Amino acid sequence: MALRVSIGQYYSADSVIHRLDPRIKLTATVVFMVSCFFVSSAATLALAAVAVGACIALAHVPAGRLLSQIKPIALFLVVTSVINLFFVQTGDLAASLGPIRIFTGGIEAALLYTLRFFLLLLAGSLLMLTTQPVALTDAAEKLLAPLERWGVPVSQVTLILSIALRFVPTLSQETRNIVAAQTARGADLEGKGAIAYARACVPLLVPLFASALRHAENLGRAMEARCYTGGAGRTHYHELKLVARRDLPFAFGVALYLAALVALSLLA
Amino acid sequence: MEASDATIGQIVLRDVHVRYGTAGERAGSAPSAAADAALDAAADPDAPEALAGVSLAINAGEHVCILGANGSGKSTLVQLINGLICASEGSVEVFGLNAGDPASAAAIRRRAAMVFQHPEDQMVTSIVADDVAFGPENLGVPSAQIAARVDAALTAVDMSEHAQADPADLSGGQQQRVAIAGALAMEPEVLLLDEPAAMLDDAGRRAIRDIVRRLNARGITIVHVTHFMDDALAAGRVIVLEQGRIALDGTPAEVFQHRETVHRLGLELPFAEELAWTLERNLPALGPLPRETDAATLAQELAERIGSHAVSLPGKPAGSHVPDRTAPSAQAPAIVFRDVSFSYVDERSARKRHLLRRGLGRRGRAGAPLAVEGLAFDVPRGSLTALVGCTGAGKSTTVELACALKLPRTGSVELMGIATDDLSRRRELRAQVGYVSQLPDRQLFAETVFDDIAFGPRNLGLTEKEVRGRVEEALALVGLSATPEMLRRSPFALSGGQQRSVALAGVLALRTPILILDEPMAGLDPQGRSRMHALIRRLRADGVTILMVTHSMDDVAELADRVIVLARGRVAALGSPRDVFCPPHSPAPGLPAALAFARRLGQAGAPLPHEPLTRSQLVAEIGGLVRPHTAEASSAEEVSHGAAR
Repeated sequence: MALRVSIGQYYSADSVIHRLDPRIKLTATVVFMVSCFFVSSAATLALAAVAVGACIALAHVPAGRLLSQIKPIALFLVVTSVINLFFVQTGDLAASLGPIRIFTGGIEAALLYTLRFFLLLLAGSLLMLTTQPVALTDAAEKLLAPLERWGVPVSQVTLILSIALRFVPTLSQETRNIVAAQTARGADLEGKGAIAYARACVPLLVPLFASALRHAENLGRAMEARCYTGGAGRTHYHELKLVARRDLPFAFGVALYLAALVALSLLA
Repeated sequence: MEASDATIGQIVLRDVHVRYGTAGERAGSAPSAAADAALDAAADPDAPEALAGVSLAINAGEHVCILGANGSGKSTLVQLINGLICASEGSVEVFGLNAGDPASAAAIRRRAAMVFQHPEDQMVTSIVADDVAFGPENLGVPSAQIAARVDAALTAVDMSEHAQADPADLSGGQQQRVAIAGALAMEPEVLLLDEPAAMLDDAGRRAIRDIVRRLNARGITIVHVTHFMDDALAAGRVIVLEQGRIALDGTPAEVFQHRETVHRLGLELPFAEELAWTLERNLPALGPLPRETDAATLAQELAERIGSHAVSLPGKPAGSHVPDRTAPSAQAPAIVFRDVSFSYVDERSARKRHLLRRGLGRRGRAGAPLAVEGLAFDVPRGSLTALVGCTGAGKSTTVELACALKLPRTGSVELMGIATDDLSRRRELRAQVGYVSQLPDRQLFAETVFDDIAFGPRNLGLTEKEVRGRVEEALALVGLSATPEMLRRSPFALSGGQQRSVALAGVLALRTPILILDEPMAGLDPQGRSRMHALIRRLRADGVTILMVTHSMDDVAELADRVIVLARGRVAALGSPRDVFCPPHSPAPGLPAALAFARRLGQAGAPLPHEPLTRSQLVAEIGGLVRPHTAEASSAEEVSHGAAR
């Protein structure tokens, strides 16, 4: 199974960050991501960078692995920073070349927005790399549980997520098998033009849909045989429990970061 | 032994009928296993009932195997027990509860767990332990106890060390053991198994059989639907279904006494039983052989009788009494692998042209794990070469390389003299090789049977008239008649067996000189297997070169004239089946049953002059010992007729 579409890109390691309660990690990540929008000066940027950097250092995740996660969005980052560079026209004129004029505000914005977005992405990737998908769905289920009172089917939705993650490798393997079988029958999968391409896809999509439906049917039957009847009355294998020695220092660190951010913002 | 007066029993069926396509056949909204059957029934109102009056009682602690050809109603029967399907008539009572009532069906399921055929369709999460916990979670077991149950269940199926693995990384056999653990964690009183080993190799099947036996010894009632007679031998009771009715019911020994009936129902007898029967018919001098025997005791008994018969042991020289099949022609080989390696890490596309292809292909990433390494072999024209090896040995990769679906990282693969990385001749190459994937029925897509089979020939650019000829010819080859109704049907409305035939026809219609078959026998019942054997023999006789992946060493012995054994991505052995199987410490993942039996005979004191590979050779060898004076050639001929069936 060498070829795997990676959605849950869990990086297996044993670190302080890996061991944290997933609810704390999830909450902290969301809080951090929101806080990034209040980063508006060099000082606060440095603070946020220190916070993320500390977590990365604690997590024992190779930097290359982390950066490769962000690579797909790097182009987007570059484009936005270039747009900022040219179109933010506040502050002093820093350079000009014909009609192009670059202001200090533009440079500032380009750097600030890009870097804080970069930090935000790093935090998200770090969460995905250090937390098993199952633990994440568990955490989301626990954190969102209060919504069930208003009729939001939280536990069903998280089970669906978990099943979806479970079937990604299965379906990608099957896609490969079907592509192989139809290619061997001479299917031309590089049809020219939209219609030709769509036509070429029929021999792939029909079996793939049939296969997905068959999985759904079999899975439904198996889940019924395993007494799944919905959320009510279910218990949980992983009882998430906060462990003071493990989770408290991290929570304290997050609080400290927030306090520092507020202080720096007020000072500025 | 019909239990019509069943008043006691954990599971009691009274005159149960099931008809698909009628209203109210299902409990709740459970999507039924029999969607295919339902489609068939809808198309044909005269379709026979899936179950037509079944009465039986199963007591707590019994180990029951249910046998029957495809479509005999086995699956329906086992799903009735936990209320996944409801009876149209009659009653099903489990633990004294009516399985037809949705509320009691739910109560039954809490105590009667079930494992299905496809392990990948039974897992809900991507961590083994979490999946095993799913059942107990649903039952509302307190968290603290779930962990203990998960550990115990995984230990019971020898999967503890994989507790944190992703099911997608496990082999089919391991996945199925996880599925059984998932059932066990619910601490059931009854375990229902619906062909759990149908897709597994020998080792996987044996592991499941051992686990099932251990669980039964713990007091769990087992109801096991299976195609494999060895499973039935392990059971305490065997029920054989025929078109929705109970044909035979008794201990394995009692049931397998009805030899003709078992054959008539499209089943095989267990190896020892089948052998004893053949020997009795062909070598009456041996006298009646003991029944209800396992291979070991039969070997012991046979050795004694042979000892008393063979007064003058023939001092024949060990010559070519049992010849290998005719050596293939001296033409250039059909498939050539030259020092091929492949890695999934730096795989190059088999279709796109790369400007820097050469460079890329050579450089690669240092230390990339190789799926296959240094593969060098050839497949002679007109031969049938079997490719065997354990899970993960690189069989699938080799097949994909041979079909030009993947390109080698180093080395080269040639088909009929065309290198697979020569993109300018790709079209020509495609016309050389046909590929029948595992479970080929999953590649069906067209609206009609005709269009599906015609897909390949049309891609070859043939005229509509030629295409029609190809379709009809291919359908005839797989044993379906090309009636207009058949050609117009949707392939999705066919029965499972017919779907596989149509999918096969879709590849045969390409009329390629090379055919690559990936586990063509997987999931077939004995009748289906013998039909597939006949088809493969026929193709060979027509001169098609065949490369066949299989996990059945008996298939290798019966069909192949060359074997390639792969182990950890390398060729571990290569040669005729005799060269590969006969040496001590054969690298093959198993031995043909006939050879294993002959070795037992040898240990029991009656070594055969030549080691047999197939059942007919075994019978001929034993015949040679019992009556050395008779003309062996004719007796072997006659015997092989009886044994091959």
